[in-house]
Amino acid sequence: MKSFHVLLSITLVCILTLLIAPHIGLSKNTDPAIASHILLQIRIPRVLLAFIIGAGLALCGLVFQAMFHNPLATPFTLGVASGASLGAALAVFFGLSFTFIGMDSTSLLAFIGALTTIIFVYSISRFGGGFSTEVLLLTGIAVSFFFSSLILLTQYLSDITGSFRILRWLMGNLSIIGYNDIWTILPVVSVVTLLVFFFRRDLNLLAAGDDIALSRGVSVKNLRYVLFFSTSICIGAIVALCGPIGFVGMMVPHMCRLLIGNDHRWLIPASCLFGGAFLILCDGIGRLVIAPAEIPVGVITTLLGGPFFLWLLIRSRIHIS
Amino acid sequence: MLQTHHLNVHIAQKKCLDDINLQFNTHDYLCIIGPNGAGKSTLLKSLMGIGPANKGSITISGKPLEKLSQKELARNISYVAQSHNRHLDFTVADFIKMARYPHHDIFSTWTTDDQNAFDSAIFLTNTEAFTDRQIPTLSGGECQRVMIAAALCQQTPLLLLDEPTSFLDPRHQVEVHQLIKNLNQEHEISIIEVTHDINHAVQHSLHILALKEGKVFWKGRSKDFLASSTLSKIYDQEFVILKHPETGQNIALTSERA
Repeated sequence: MKSFHVLLSITLVCILTLLIAPHIGLSKNTDPAIASHILLQIRIPRVLLAFIIGAGLALCGLVFQAMFHNPLATPFTLGVASGASLGAALAVFFGLSFTFIGMDSTSLLAFIGALTTIIFVYSISRFGGGFSTEVLLLTGIAVSFFFSSLILLTQYLSDITGSFRILRWLMGNLSIIGYNDIWTILPVVSVVTLLVFFFRRDLNLLAAGDDIALSRGVSVKNLRYVLFFSTSICIGAIVALCGPIGFVGMMVPHMCRLLIGNDHRWLIPASCLFGGAFLILCDGIGRLVIAPAEIPVGVITTLLGGPFFLWLLIRSRIHIS
Repeated sequence: MLQTHHLNVHIAQKKCLDDINLQFNTHDYLCIIGPNGAGKSTLLKSLMGIGPANKGSITISGKPLEKLSQKELARNISYVAQSHNRHLDFTVADFIKMARYPHHDIFSTWTTDDQNAFDSAIFLTNTEAFTDRQIPTLSGGECQRVMIAAALCQQTPLLLLDEPTSFLDPRHQVEVHQLIKNLNQEHEISIIEVTHDINHAVQHSLHILALKEGKVFWKGRSKDFLASSTLSKIYDQEFVILKHPETGQNIALTSERA
């Protein structure tokens, strides 16, 4: 019952956030027609996008943590952000400009970069038959560093405009006009969310350990493949659209675990809702702090995420000793 | 109900199980003994379909193991591992209930069958008192009983146990031994147990399989085991056999002589 009440509270907070957020910062003495246009075409889409992206990031983070039994295993720590960023940086550097099934060239290359990296990291860590989460994480970190220096190199070799566009992309961005991007990302995130929710019982067992999961009848290997690739596609699409928005996927599931416990039947909806509300909040902060200028949302989440990461490390040290 | 036929298992080029032929009947209680590294746990894991790749065949109720889905297998065999991840952040009740997984599909809900399985599992293992506690707060003995309760909640005809009493104090060892014997005799659950406790194996189980260096070294009825004088050869250690003052059964003690 406790879990139900917690989920209900999170849902209410989430609905409130969704209703209030678009109205914050709207000037009262603007022409009503312009105000309503801003609200409908800029503010509401942006809040909706923030919600979907936040929910997707939190969900994928949750799945990775359960799959790899490690609080630090998220698609981002496995190098997906750096892969996407390198793809985007290359698109800017070579001045590519085309659209393909609704994605512009930067997004498309970022998407390809994200997927290639995550599959590459996964295959490397499996190389030789052995497989451990430690190897997976270390591979992710090594690949991230390698790609980061390639991004820096690309930026250095670009002209000043290109260099700034790359930098801006790396900070994450949720500003959109109209609803087109929402129609691109919503199906991906909702299908993956549904799929993950179908596997909620399997995820509980997987979190309890591979041997327990297998002996209870979970086909661990197949489940890992399905979840790994579906969440990778989801994360790839998100990063391609909005740039790398870090730490949401790591922070939100942990906060939800503290609130609602470890049962994925509750944890999955809670993480999605909380993640959505959390990103709306971060984006709101970014818009208001130095208004009318904006702080990119990726900077806000990372500013919050760094200290959180350290807190998590210290806390788990205490937990062990 | 379970056979292995020329079962061979290699882990990293090392031969861990060498030509194991096992015939295990319904309602039997088999203890697998043998020195460390003899392949006991590997054999148990192979039977559970979670071990490394193997050659040879394993059949369960006449069906080859590889033909069964993981779920079908889990409806036939449950397994209690040697060591447990004690940092499972679940309540005891939630953890035990999760064992109903093989009887569910994506859409099924909690039925009276599930509830009955759960109730009888916590009753038999005497875990009712702490179903609301978190697993990390349990003592070793409590945790072991919870793991057995979860395996029972899975409601399988065959239960595999890997050294279920290794980390328990004498009182809890006796408790778990009695529980296993009770499950076998009263509830007709077939048991395969890996153990280092020779006297327990001799007293409680019906059959003993001794492994050494991946091979079957001795197999037969438990009451014939100590008389067969293979014990010292299995462990390369001298034993003295004496009569238990209460039961009159033979028991083995390690000898101090080199």
